Amino acid sequence: MGVLSTVLHTLRPGAAVVLLALSGCAGSSLTQSGGEQTAGPVKIGLLVPLSGVYAPLGEDMRNGFQFYLDQHSGKLGGRTVEVVAADEGEGPQTGVPAAQKLVTQDQATAVVGVVNSATALGMRDFFHESKKLLLIANAGADAITGASKSDYVWRTSFSNGKVAAALGPAVAKEADGPVYLIAADYAAGKEMVAGFRKTFEAAGGKVAGEKYTPFGKTQDFQPFLSAIRGSGAKAVYSFYAGAEAVSFVKQYRQFGLADNTPLYGTGFLTEGGVLDAQGEAAVGVKTSLHYSTELDSPRNKEFVAAYRKAYDEAPTVYAVQAYDAAAVLDKALANAPGGTGDELVKALGAVGPVDSPRGQWSFDANHDPQQAYYLREVRSSGGAVVNAVASQLSAAQ
Amino acid sequence: MTGHLVSVLNGLAMGSLLFAIALGLSLVFGMMDVLNLAHGAVYLAGAYVAVALVADGASLAAFVLAVLLAAVLGAVLGGVLAGMTRTTPHHLDQALLTLGVSLVVAETLSVFFGNDVHSIAAPAPVAGSVVVFGETYPVYRLLLIGFGVVLAVAVYVLVERSVLGSVIRATVADRGMVSALGINTGRVLVGVFAAGAALAAVGGVLAGPVLGAQPGLDEKVLLLALVVVVIGGLGSVRGALLGAVLIGQVQALGASLLPEYASFLIFAAMGLVLLLRPAGLLPARGAVRA
Repeated sequence: MGVLSTVLHTLRPGAAVVLLALSGCAGSSLTQSGGEQTAGPVKIGLLVPLSGVYAPLGEDMRNGFQFYLDQHSGKLGGRTVEVVAADEGEGPQTGVPAAQKLVTQDQATAVVGVVNSATALGMRDFFHESKKLLLIANAGADAITGASKSDYVWRTSFSNGKVAAALGPAVAKEADGPVYLIAADYAAGKEMVAGFRKTFEAAGGKVAGEKYTPFGKTQDFQPFLSAIRGSGAKAVYSFYAGAEAVSFVKQYRQFGLADNTPLYGTGFLTEGGVLDAQGEAAVGVKTSLHYSTELDSPRNKEFVAAYRKAYDEAPTVYAVQAYDAAAVLDKALANAPGGTGDELVKALGAVGPVDSPRGQWSFDANHDPQQAYYLREVRSSGGAVVNAVASQLSAAQ
Repeated sequence: MTGHLVSVLNGLAMGSLLFAIALGLSLVFGMMDVLNLAHGAVYLAGAYVAVALVADGASLAAFVLAVLLAAVLGAVLGGVLAGMTRTTPHHLDQALLTLGVSLVVAETLSVFFGNDVHSIAAPAPVAGSVVVFGETYPVYRLLLIGFGVVLAVAVYVLVERSVLGSVIRATVADRGMVSALGINTGRVLVGVFAAGAALAAVGGVLAGPVLGAQPGLDEKVLLLALVVVVIGGLGSVRGALLGAVLIGQVQALGASLLPEYASFLIFAAMGLVLLLRPAGLLPARGAVRA
């Protein structure tokens, strides 16, 4: 489907790579930590969706990664970076071969990106066996850093269960009655609901009902909204992304539930382009996530302003995740002169705290980020809707 | 229980939209024997006309303008498609040709409007909600039901009661005989193709406040329209109406009563119809020639 747009999209980073290579030849020696190693350029594979339903996320991630490079003269760990982009597409059937091509044909030192969890899990064995670093900057399946974790797979984004779990106690405290759980019927939806339910019930919350809607096939949520109304729920927890998030939140208001039944969700429900499409209908929706453009820290304010200047739009959590992937690679590459997978993995284990726009975070023992989660509320400010930060959520286990 | 009544209402609203979209597909399939796989892309083009003109919270005038513009754009696209598909009588060639056109149109839209999900607001005077059966219900969807009724009556009168309609029906039944009577059947066919595409594009605008606009929607809509056509029978106005209302109800009531199976129900319904009435529930009178 996305051949034409893929070509158009790849033109710009392609030109950037050439410029970067040229500026590398000019021999600017801005020192990073460990800049005395004057090793040659390093190839990083950037695997994000450039076509299909996830293309907007892929665009944000590519921008985030490129933005870090632009801020650091195109170098990571003191070495000039050549970014090789590949299209992840919509699922493993396109994503896995693309990753293999990046490693075997393009000889990428590490591969960064991956939106889809099934794709990430599908390429796990390949990276594990070829001892190459896979740095995941979105895909949230719990198994990636759980049941099928690998020494060579690290994640700078989140795991589904943890984002949802952070919200549980807060909803249990705020809701004045039972809560209805609704999500798209696929792995991520189930993990989100399970993660939420565990901490929510542990904090004394009552569940009014649980329903999964056909994934990618539901445009009209009226029957499900009627069921929620009929259940007598006092609040709703939900997980949707993309087009379904837009339909769900808009119809939640159109069918009158938003007025008396507060809507909670994991942050992807109201993140980025999705929120723009929901507009005023999303006002009042409360979500948990590890980032918001409205975070009140000097680091984030400076980041948001610079990102806006570069791309003429607000950064999203997806851009920040890819930005941080570049940041940890920057640190790790400085301590991995040979650029082998084993060296990189060892260096990643020692990067320590990362000073990110989302706040400080570090890798935990499972290669997942240990980070703060925020309770965000959609507010209308000056004609635009934003995810205002209501509070920081206590870290959930 | 009232929840199910609201679902019935909702099924009627979706059925109205499906009728507008599937009608053109059915007539073109029945009359010209062309399976127009670009029908969904024409729909999507209409939806993006609404994105460009209406976006959020526009006036009634802007919405009406979007409907008219979409109708013109749809008619032009339909005319082009009619011209292109006339160059080849083979089904496979036509399917490939229209599929190619749909890919080009969808890709062009994606280049101009991006890959983000767009939502379209209902025109301001009818953007609110009313209480129906004790539940809050959007006014706009009630209007869609009214639109479906008006459209059904108008098309019925045009096709079944007017001279033009009898020419159209005769062209479906026996093209050779009609041209022997001195009527330019080519012009009739192009006209029907253009009108059907215009309806699909208008459907894109009208469905905007319900379904929005995003890449990939064209395929979903095309699939639904094809199911409606198969269930109703090729080339039949009444068949398209019955099929659309039926699928609307199966979708809405199905999700309400059997949520676990919601996504399979419309195909189960189609399979059932194909088993019992392979030609569809209300096929056009007179055989469709191969």
